[in-house]
Amino acid sequence: MYRNILMKDLKRKKTMNFILLIFIILATMFISSSADNMYTIATAIDRYFEKAGVPDYWFALIEKQEAERFFAFARENDYEYRKISLMQLDTGDILIDGEAFDYANTACLSTLEGSRVFDSESNPLERIADGEIYVTSNIFHSDKNHFYEGGKVVIKFGETEREFTIKGYVKDALFGSDMISMTRFLVSENDYKLFSEASLNDIDSVAVYTKDSDYLRRFQALELSMIFHVDYNTIKLMYVMDMIIAAILLVVSICLILISMVILHFTIGFTISGEFREIGVMKAVGIPNGKIRGLYLVKYLAISIVGAVIGLSAGFPFGRFLLESVSDNILLTGGGHVLLNAGCAAATVAVILGFCYFCTGKVKKISPVAAIKNGESGERFHGKGVIHLNRAGLAPVWFLAVNDILSSIRRFLSMIVIFTLGILLIIIPVNTINTLQSDHLINWFSMAESDLVISQEVLFSPEFDNKKMIEDKLEEVREILHENHIEAKVFQEILFRVNISHGDLKMSSFAFSGVGDVTTESYPYIRGTAPQSENEIAISYLIAERIGADIGDDVEINLGGETKKYTVTAINQSMNNLGECIRFYQNADPNYQYAAGSFGIQIQYTDHPKKSELEERKELLMSYYSDADFYTAGEYISYMTGDVAKQLESVKSLILGIVLCINILVAVLMEKSFLAKEKSEIAILKAVGFANASLILWQTIRIGLVLCISILLGTLLSAPLSEISVVPVFQMMGAYSIEFEVIPFEVYVVYPLIILAGTAAGAYLSALGIGSIRASETSNIE
Amino acid sequence: MSQVLEVTNLCKTYVVNKRQNNVLKNVNFCISEGEMVAVMGPSGSGKSTLLYTVSGMDGITAGEVRFCGKNIAGRSEKELSKLRLNEMGFIFQQMYMLKNLTVLDNIILPACQSGKMKESRKETAARGRDLMRKLGIIDIADNDINEVSGGQLQRACICRSMMNHPKMIFADEPTGALNRTASNEVMEELAKLNAEGTTIMLVTHDVKVAAKCTRVLYIVDGNIKGEHNLFRYTSSGELRERERKLNGWLMEMGW
Repeated sequence: MYRNILMKDLKRKKTMNFILLIFIILATMFISSSADNMYTIATAIDRYFEKAGVPDYWFALIEKQEAERFFAFARENDYEYRKISLMQLDTGDILIDGEAFDYANTACLSTLEGSRVFDSESNPLERIADGEIYVTSNIFHSDKNHFYEGGKVVIKFGETEREFTIKGYVKDALFGSDMISMTRFLVSENDYKLFSEASLNDIDSVAVYTKDSDYLRRFQALELSMIFHVDYNTIKLMYVMDMIIAAILLVVSICLILISMVILHFTIGFTISGEFREIGVMKAVGIPNGKIRGLYLVKYLAISIVGAVIGLSAGFPFGRFLLESVSDNILLTGGGHVLLNAGCAAATVAVILGFCYFCTGKVKKISPVAAIKNGESGERFHGKGVIHLNRAGLAPVWFLAVNDILSSIRRFLSMIVIFTLGILLIIIPVNTINTLQSDHLINWFSMAESDLVISQEVLFSPEFDNKKMIEDKLEEVREILHENHIEAKVFQEILFRVNISHGDLKMSSFAFSGVGDVTTESYPYIRGTAPQSENEIAISYLIAERIGADIGDDVEINLGGETKKYTVTAINQSMNNLGECIRFYQNADPNYQYAAGSFGIQIQYTDHPKKSELEERKELLMSYYSDADFYTAGEYISYMTGDVAKQLESVKSLILGIVLCINILVAVLMEKSFLAKEKSEIAILKAVGFANASLILWQTIRIGLVLCISILLGTLLSAPLSEISVVPVFQMMGAYSIEFEVIPFEVYVVYPLIILAGTAAGAYLSALGIGSIRASETSNIE
Repeated sequence: MSQVLEVTNLCKTYVVNKRQNNVLKNVNFCISEGEMVAVMGPSGSGKSTLLYTVSGMDGITAGEVRFCGKNIAGRSEKELSKLRLNEMGFIFQQMYMLKNLTVLDNIILPACQSGKMKESRKETAARGRDLMRKLGIIDIADNDINEVSGGQLQRACICRSMMNHPKMIFADEPTGALNRTASNEVMEELAKLNAEGTTIMLVTHDVKVAAKCTRVLYIVDGNIKGEHNLFRYTSSGELRERERKLNGWLMEMGW
């Protein structure tokens, strides 16, 4: 008998049952794939590093002879180490299909010795044949150079020249991040020897494996001159840009799970409220409450098992699709954990039954008559209409839409929550991406603001008069500008690798000195005042924290073996090397013999030219420096950080696509649910003369209004939620004080309009179903 | 008197599970302006279907339905909506109203949508209140529909049907869900409206209701078997006599 009731119910209410099934499929798909992705992403870097054998410490020495001193120290203390040979190349000496290699940082030649890398299929790369070459993934996929499998790379060094065939890209934990400002080309041992024998640029880099807590203190006591020195956590932090994408995906996954829960809660509550009439009839004829609840639990169990099985199957490809958007730089092992996915699907079924049990709890409390009246006892003495047609100056369909939302806000709450989550999913990443692409970001990279950056890196050497070389170059640019009657400040940032100490605490860091028409006042500081004399400096938060120094403290800086005392006058921030930044006073005159590198030549026009004029001036300068690249401040940062913003752009499109799909699906399915539930009201309105177009408009406006409320809520919540979710990521990169770059037109107009248009279109198409409801159906409604 | 409704050879067929069900078969009748016509007949005879098809709420299979001289068969849904909104009024057995609106808002909703009367929203509301006052339900104007009795709600439905000054009111068992007292009250109001010139067609099972009409059509198996003319109902004193006569005729029809 009960089986018959169930079968009839499934057949008779097929629209609502089908909608419920679709929602369960979606929820299971989202929950199982998101949980799997969360697990994969959260452990991705550690598992990747473990597989790649990333060392606890990694450094490179300026003086090759010092390597032996370290090896002796390591042997004496029983520290495990591996040598990774690197040979620095001039990017102009690397030709890719005849074109010079376009790269802002240091390029090296290296072998597989001492490190473990993975091919595009994530398998360990065991050997490289002579004449073959591998490129790191980030460089291989960059738009700046045309790398492709089978392409030719020619490397020249003095008299030695060799052509290589590109075999593909590798996932290289040590060199795979753009933040490390260095890349390497992997060749065979024989090919490497060919160049290293003819070169003086052979660098010894050493990977150290130790858990000794005293290692660092002992190592620093060696006072080696280093090009760089990083520990495991710093290497990990270098992937923070890649992890931003993963983190966004993580947020997407969490939101998808939340959305699924809200959808389930809505659908179960909505469908069960539609069952009240039957429940009332069954109660009236004496069927016990337990039996009635059991009947519906069995029904929902059956639907949820079918939905969970389909959703579980769909979850695997969907999860893989999402994971594909995470950077190719990271080895993502896992994904498709069958047990985890199956567990999530089972949990979804349990949650559905829980919701169902909770919702049918009302069966016990209400009388048969109240149940037949759809849960209404008739003893309600408060007016439901919040606004009144006779007072509101709204057209009837608009009035009906607004009144529906205000009168039964709980009914639309699920939709508001889902849409708000979707809007947040768009606003927060878009603001983050715009901030990462902003011209002001240059300040976060220890550079003063400028209109144009000419990227023409200077190769420094202790043998050259580096300072004169820089000043000559700047003077040359000044003269060109002067000849063309352009007023501008021309300057350049020079980097030094120094050791800074405060008491017993010591660390290695980059120090910056602005050369040319720039003063320390041109840079922003978070606290204190800009250095005013040669013996004053500003230090970053990270350094202040690590060496325990603050404004007013004296610190010692060792550059090239010479130690000088400086007073800290300000705290600044920098995303260079994840927060390492020391700012010298403009006349401090550090020893340029030890300059480690430079940024591009910066030009700041003093006559505030218009955009078109800026372009003309750029063209003019390009005619003088045909071999250089020209960037705006934002473009230059993007160039240095390896176009992470571009990767984020694609993630932005992916998120927009996902949010749009979810919104349209939710709008379509909820609209279908509303039509099923509101059939009688629609029939009445038709009977009294409302045309189909008006009724479709009423339904569409309602969903449109709900979305507008969500957009408003999303906008209001985006600022505090950005603070919670994104600011910590920036802090990890060294930026402690962030002002988000908000482009109101894009964030608050363009994207919401796209979402609004898509969702409203979905709602409109579903509402077309109104046409099939006949006015005469008022008498057939239960 | 001019004819408001002319029905010629009206047929209506439903196909359920590939089985054809001819609900109305060549129905012919007319209703003149100012008439109050009751349709009676056994359950399943096609009374409600007849009401819905002649009022344009449901399509017809064959025949012609002329409302105020114009054939409504084959008209678009949009045209029919306009016709229902401006020229017709509807009253259902189940006092259907929108749950989220107050009684007054439910009443004035068609008038606000129509704009036929060319009046302000305030004037529409005032007219709605006047109608409610006339039908003795002004006290429930701002109430939620769940707070009022069935009789009050049905009178509210009459108010709603009157808002756009329709040429004709269609009522499907308007007293079917009411007790005797409420039923009498509602029928008194409909009779008053009819006396004031509104044409009414109603479906009923109740002889007491039909006795207040000017004419009764008796339908069996989708065909009008007969019709019975009554004088215009003027006072409750003559009701018993009208009922007696009507009962006699209905017995002849096989009631």
